[in-house]
Amino acid sequence: MNKLYQVKHELWLDILFASFAINDTIIKDRLYDFAMINFRHMKWLGEAILADGNDYNYDRAKMLLKRECTFDVFTYLIEEIKKAQSEYIESVLTARILTDESYLVEYLTSLLNDSKNNEKITAFNMHRTLPGKKLDTTQTDSLTIFLFEESYKEYELILVYAYMQARTDNLLHFNVFQDLIDESHFHLKSFGNMMAQMGILALPRELHELTYKVTDIEKFVVNGIKEEENAKEECRALAEAVNDTELSQFFDFINFQENYHIELMKRLLPH
Amino acid sequence: MADKSELVNNIEMPEGMNPEVLRHIMYPENYGKLESPDGTGVAMDDKTGEFVIFTLKLGKESIEDIKFATNGCQDTVVVGSMFTEMVKGESVEYAKKAIAKIEAKLGGLSPQQKICADMVFNAFIAALINVSNLAQGKKEEMHVIKSEESCEIPTPQGEEK
Repeated sequence: MNKLYQVKHELWLDILFASFAINDTIIKDRLYDFAMINFRHMKWLGEAILADGNDYNYDRAKMLLKRECTFDVFTYLIEEIKKAQSEYIESVLTARILTDESYLVEYLTSLLNDSKNNEKITAFNMHRTLPGKKLDTTQTDSLTIFLFEESYKEYELILVYAYMQARTDNLLHFNVFQDLIDESHFHLKSFGNMMAQMGILALPRELHELTYKVTDIEKFVVNGIKEEENAKEECRALAEAVNDTELSQFFDFINFQENYHIELMKRLLPH
Repeated sequence: MADKSELVNNIEMPEGMNPEVLRHIMYPENYGKLESPDGTGVAMDDKTGEFVIFTLKLGKESIEDIKFATNGCQDTVVVGSMFTEMVKGESVEYAKKAIAKIEAKLGGLSPQQKICADMVFNAFIAALINVSNLAQGKKEEMHVIKSEESCEIPTPQGEEK
């Protein structure tokens, strides 16, 4: 399978989870933008691999990202970007990727030049509290399970839809997949940042190919709709359980978004 | 790569959730797939599309290596992680009794968790059947056991799905 694709997949996760782990909102947002650029690199790379008659998968070798301070994160990212670049073969696409990554390396280097940017990372300290919120043990446990469950699901959905999008000739399907991918990116960002706030940030587990090699789209959509309904129920139950207006509003907001996902998914069914 | 046990050691764990369960959720043991396994088994729930897949390598008297993967819920991940951690390096006979040991360790399982545990155990059994089928010369990429029950979230009363 394609090693470069795996490297870019891992790099996307590295940058994405670094953005979740950083507390400084300006740096966090900047890294998130770079993570999304990197995701588009993955998409274009996947298209190029398929156009060449080859294939790729979602295997990963790296499992976790855990650093003590922001400088360790920035240094790690620079090293990983440079390692990834050693895999590139000259093309118009890799030229684009290289300029994007060089700019990110410059940005990270500039951060390393100012010691004020070196802050303690709190995303892994397991304190399981949210700033300004008083949740009891049961509520905290419910929220913890929800965040692990749903962050995995959003990661899974992004990759499954991207895999199917790369292989469809149907414009309607392509657009539906794009909408669903965009929606899941937002959910993953929301949950990832919340996990970091609670000190329980961890990478979602790897996808097995049985998850994303879909042979029966109708069955996939029917199961997917059931899963969205389950997610809605999880959100509704959590909104009720947390007993905090702000959090309940947020989970209701996510719950209502799932309604529209179901409508989008129905468009994938044969009429 | 850091040792996974180091990630939660030396941390004052919060009250509530069993720290061991949290460790298995955050850093599941033996997760993924083995290259060139002796057997591959799947437990599949056709109703929901959920699966658990095991790949294993058998030594003369023990399970040399074992990995699992799932698209299922966190309960499935926790049981799969605990199960593989318990049985790796042990005999097949020991492994067949391991689920009951996990149940005791977790202080009993809810009906939903029981279904998840059954999925894990069935996938393991399917992998053993695959080993046996291959030894008999059958061509079988993986052995699949269909689940009879689904690990679905119950619909709240009065609400239609």
